[in-house]
Amino acid sequence: MMERVASGAAERKGWLDRYAHVVGPGTLHALEALARKLHGHRIVMVNTTKTGGGVAEILHRLVLILNELGVPTTWEVMEGDERFFNVTKKIHNALHGRAEPLTAEDREVYAERTRSEAKRLELDGDLILIHDPQPAGLVSLRRKPGQKWVWRCHIDLSARDPDHWEFLRPSVAQYDASIFSAIEFVPPLPIPTYLVPPSIDPFSAKNREMDPDEVAAILDRLDIARRGPWVTQISRFDRIKDPIGVIEAFRMVRGRRKARLLLAGGGASDDPEGAEVLAEVRERATKVKDVTVLELPPGSDLEINALQRASTVVMQKSLAEGFALTVSEALWKRRAVVASAVGGIPLQILHEQTGLLARSIEGAAFQTVRLLDNPDLRHDLGIEGRAHVRENFLHTREVRDYLAVFSSLL
Amino acid sequence: MTNAAFQLSTVAHLEYPAGRSATDLASLREGIARVPAESLFFHISRVAVRHPRAHDLPPNDFANWTAAALQEPEIAERLAFAGAQLLVELEDQRAALIRILDDAMSRKRAEAASQAAAFHFISARSVKAPLPFTVEHPEQVVHLWPHVDSAAAFYHLVEAPVLGPAVDDLVAWLRMRGATRLAEIAEELTRGGMPLLRLHREIGARWRRSLIGARLLERTEQSDATRRQEARAVVARFAGRLRKPPGERRP
Repeated sequence: MMERVASGAAERKGWLDRYAHVVGPGTLHALEALARKLHGHRIVMVNTTKTGGGVAEILHRLVLILNELGVPTTWEVMEGDERFFNVTKKIHNALHGRAEPLTAEDREVYAERTRSEAKRLELDGDLILIHDPQPAGLVSLRRKPGQKWVWRCHIDLSARDPDHWEFLRPSVAQYDASIFSAIEFVPPLPIPTYLVPPSIDPFSAKNREMDPDEVAAILDRLDIARRGPWVTQISRFDRIKDPIGVIEAFRMVRGRRKARLLLAGGGASDDPEGAEVLAEVRERATKVKDVTVLELPPGSDLEINALQRASTVVMQKSLAEGFALTVSEALWKRRAVVASAVGGIPLQILHEQTGLLARSIEGAAFQTVRLLDNPDLRHDLGIEGRAHVRENFLHTREVRDYLAVFSSLL
Repeated sequence: MTNAAFQLSTVAHLEYPAGRSATDLASLREGIARVPAESLFFHISRVAVRHPRAHDLPPNDFANWTAAALQEPEIAERLAFAGAQLLVELEDQRAALIRILDDAMSRKRAEAASQAAAFHFISARSVKAPLPFTVEHPEQVVHLWPHVDSAAAFYHLVEAPVLGPAVDDLVAWLRMRGATRLAEIAEELTRGGMPLLRLHREIGARWRRSLIGARLLERTEQSDATRRQEARAVVARFAGRLRKPPGERRP
């Protein structure tokens, strides 16, 4: 069944006003001015999950903000069954460079689901913004005359598997434009391409301010010791996030310093591999001292907020990434971050300015030890990191970029 | 034309690949020689937009990449100096950058970066949107300045003078309207190449200070009764501030 996510008027009221305190009233005047250029046009966003993962989180807020700016925007969620999501997960992994052959049956599963969803989804806006590969095929079945279709790719395609990309490319080539998070992710395409990094919401449950008592209460509820120092990675249990590599790096850290590791995360409804990876992580965690693995149910935003704030060092040791918004979330909370130099992470972590980059397990261990030993360095990186996010990775900046893309096409 | 009002506008920067990349000095030179002016502008001047809050403005992207990916600090600092001025004609900066790279390549053969560390040329065009602020007199700009965003400030002070259109060049308009002092302040500070938020703030502060003399002159021409009334209002505001607890007082 198709899901439609609408934004209630009561919820919308004053949402942007709250941003004025963070980004200044000038930015809001600018957004309103840009939104006026889209007067009379309707936008439809489409993805495949309402909860879990960075894309769904962004869409929840962007739809609200665009509506509050007077740009009518709806959000359609394409549904799929397990077979469909197994195929799209395979495509997702292959586009990140972990290829498995795409069989004729896989192609048929993808095509069949696309056909059935194309009949149901309400795609009657002036501009249809399709997020990621799963719903990319809709364009050939549902484009109406006069509509503009834009493909928004949140994945780093720099190490893409050619077979999988050749399967997807004919659909992508039918769009009027594409949007990528960073220039390094962009493959050759015959359509205009724009660069729009994703962003976070500073007022969401995951990022809002939280006092130490509230953090302590949440830690108690989760049965997480208040005493650290905690090194944490909070991410989906996905091989691409390299949770096993994090445990290995922590084993090296633990050999030199007293610390605890917390691996926390959940799954996304369009990721069928999560349970399998979680089982592997639990098994590996039993072999290293002071490692806690915590499975978080969907909607654990306050818990994630508290766990990040309780961390001395936040890790994001991914092997590949689209953008890794968890990094911006941690930076917003003035946390010291050690992260892999992959995907969009180097845009967020300016090495030695806003955080520390690592390219190996030993590198991650080395930088973690450095941070555990040096509170002044943690403090300075935290201050700069928050300022960097304020200017570059809050929703107001992403909305501004989208308004520019929309008004250049409509 | 001289009496035309000035429309303050904001911009959103639509960034897109310029279709070239570089892995060594030769391909960097080739790219700099061939990319459109908008791409040069992006890599030299838009550094101020991308790092608006930096303590100090970072060097241009070419210099940064040459230092980080090619490990050539000497060439990097020469490139940084050649492409560091916000209001200099872009073709002059292009020629200066090419001269440095030609010279560097004639002296030594630098290593190439891996494809993963390649420099990708980006271009950007501005999508302009008028703000609800139309200015009839130069002094109005001073009052409205804190209400425009820093992208608008960058557009009117840096982008319009370099890439056009001339009608959006704020300094030129101030000059045309006889506000020479305001124009000089804006131009001098913009040429100074400070980070954007500081530039925006500093220009506002200097403009306000520059109007103090004119305001004083205006006051002397007012009646005694009006001046007394204004003085009482100022004292009342000051007393109100003193009554507030120390924590609530503005520094």
